[in-house]
Amino acid sequence: MNPESPISFTCLVKINSGDRALENLPMELSGFDAARPLIITGKDAADRKALRTLIRAFGDSGMTFGLFDGVTDTTDLAVIDVLKRTCLEKDYDAIIALGGAEIVDAAKVLNVSLSLKVPDARKISAETPIRGRLRPLMVVLTAGATGLETSSVSRFEGMVFRSEYLAPNLVVIDPRLADMGDGKRIAESGLAALGRLVEAHISTDKNPFRDAYSFTAIRLIAENLKDAVAGHGGKKAATAVGNGVAMSGCVFSNTGAFLLHKLGQVVYDVRRIHPGLTMSMAMLDVLDLYRRRDGHDLAALFHPLAGDEEFALSRPEDRVDGALSLLRRLIADVRDAMGKDTPRNLREAGVPWYMMEDVLERLEADPDGPYLRPLAERMWGEEPSHLKKGQPT
Amino acid sequence: MELVRDVQAGKKPFKRAYVGIFLWFTGKAVQAAARSDEQVKREFDALPDDFAFSMGCLPNGPWMVVGKEEGAVKYLGGNPEGRHQHLRLKIKNLEAAFLILTFQESTAMATVRNRIITDGELPHALAVMRVLDIVEVYLLPRRIAKLAVKRYPRWPLKRKLFGRFAVYTRTLLGF
Repeated sequence: MNPESPISFTCLVKINSGDRALENLPMELSGFDAARPLIITGKDAADRKALRTLIRAFGDSGMTFGLFDGVTDTTDLAVIDVLKRTCLEKDYDAIIALGGAEIVDAAKVLNVSLSLKVPDARKISAETPIRGRLRPLMVVLTAGATGLETSSVSRFEGMVFRSEYLAPNLVVIDPRLADMGDGKRIAESGLAALGRLVEAHISTDKNPFRDAYSFTAIRLIAENLKDAVAGHGGKKAATAVGNGVAMSGCVFSNTGAFLLHKLGQVVYDVRRIHPGLTMSMAMLDVLDLYRRRDGHDLAALFHPLAGDEEFALSRPEDRVDGALSLLRRLIADVRDAMGKDTPRNLREAGVPWYMMEDVLERLEADPDGPYLRPLAERMWGEEPSHLKKGQPT
Repeated sequence: MELVRDVQAGKKPFKRAYVGIFLWFTGKAVQAAARSDEQVKREFDALPDDFAFSMGCLPNGPWMVVGKEEGAVKYLGGNPEGRHQHLRLKIKNLEAAFLILTFQESTAMATVRNRIITDGELPHALAVMRVLDIVEVYLLPRRIAKLAVKRYPRWPLKRKLFGRFAVYTRTLLGF
């Protein structure tokens, strides 16, 4: 063992994926000694359809569960406090979050307030120590996920909670739900995951366990995202993308936040634009930046993107260009499949300049500000270089 | 209006009834096959004298229990509670049981997809799986049985015809 390069990898998340995976939930709950879960979800149409499927999956289990279907992006700690009190009154012993993004973030914060027995959930802050196992939390992923659902991070009311115990105990990916969203939602979800995975896979601190996850997830997304978005791949392709998205959260928990993630997250915080869309605009420019910095192994991307045969036939010195070319083609194909009206820059995405100033201000406050600001300015003002017409792919 | 409302999980009466009838019939057929088929008899002879196994689905059944009593293999009903069993084959949920027992998925594929929990010793589980495969070959037409078993056996015509007749007769008449 080399004491100078310790490797650590923690992933407490169990992924339960495949045909009728939802029906295993009652049994999985009993494994945690839980029999009365609270289901948390949002109000949009896809969530409602997914909810019906989830409730049907509990059929014949004899269970009674609570249902809160009012999570929105404005849900605050006051709501969490009411939910916490209700959980204690009605003896809900586990939480099932159905959906992605803010629904899972709210579920994680509720779990913290319940498990730590915080008297008033409104007083929870990012500094609240989370040092032990929390109550069972299960996440049923749908097409609107961001990839952070399976991570050890939760963003709620502008606060960022971090603890390995925040990650859900179980993630369920069922083809019936993975294919439920429109292509745009699947594309955004896959691109956000791809952005974080790519950054982790080329990062300077190598970790074989994390690389195994990122390699598999990049391959799943590269092989299936275009078909899933265009609707050619059906449930199989959408489920494969769902698996990649779930794995990206596990990878993210074991890396830091890098440039692409920061860009995507700041724009999301200010204007609620899905990080996947922002990351797709910036991905190649960011990779170009990494290429000019030392230590980033861009060639490592070629194998998961190109496949075994092409990798075996390639020359090592061609792999960086090959990987960038494949990534450029993949992003262009996915954006084409998303439709003609897919915004090419932040201005087209509906970010007015006064909001952009807020974005730039936040980015400047980051240690990576000198890199992030010019990137964001380019993303707002002009079409990113790789999306310009006539650019060779 | 309440923020959180309680929801009661529904029921699946048709699927439950199908799985229940299938398990009941299969249990009876195992009993019949142990008296009619030499290979099944040999498999049970190699098992302990008080051997019993159950097969069914979590969390609330239905189940079938088959075991040896005074040297004879018997279908012991549908209630595994309070009975010592050497082996439990638990299908994780009713939906998975329906997939397997309607032959949309073979036992081997269901195992690969992690739908079955085996609680007991591996040699016992393998013996029971061999017995269940033989019983399925007797009970089902070739085309359907091929979906249920990993490899469809090549039996002499005599074994197939007389065995099938004997198993069906004994199962329906219960002796």
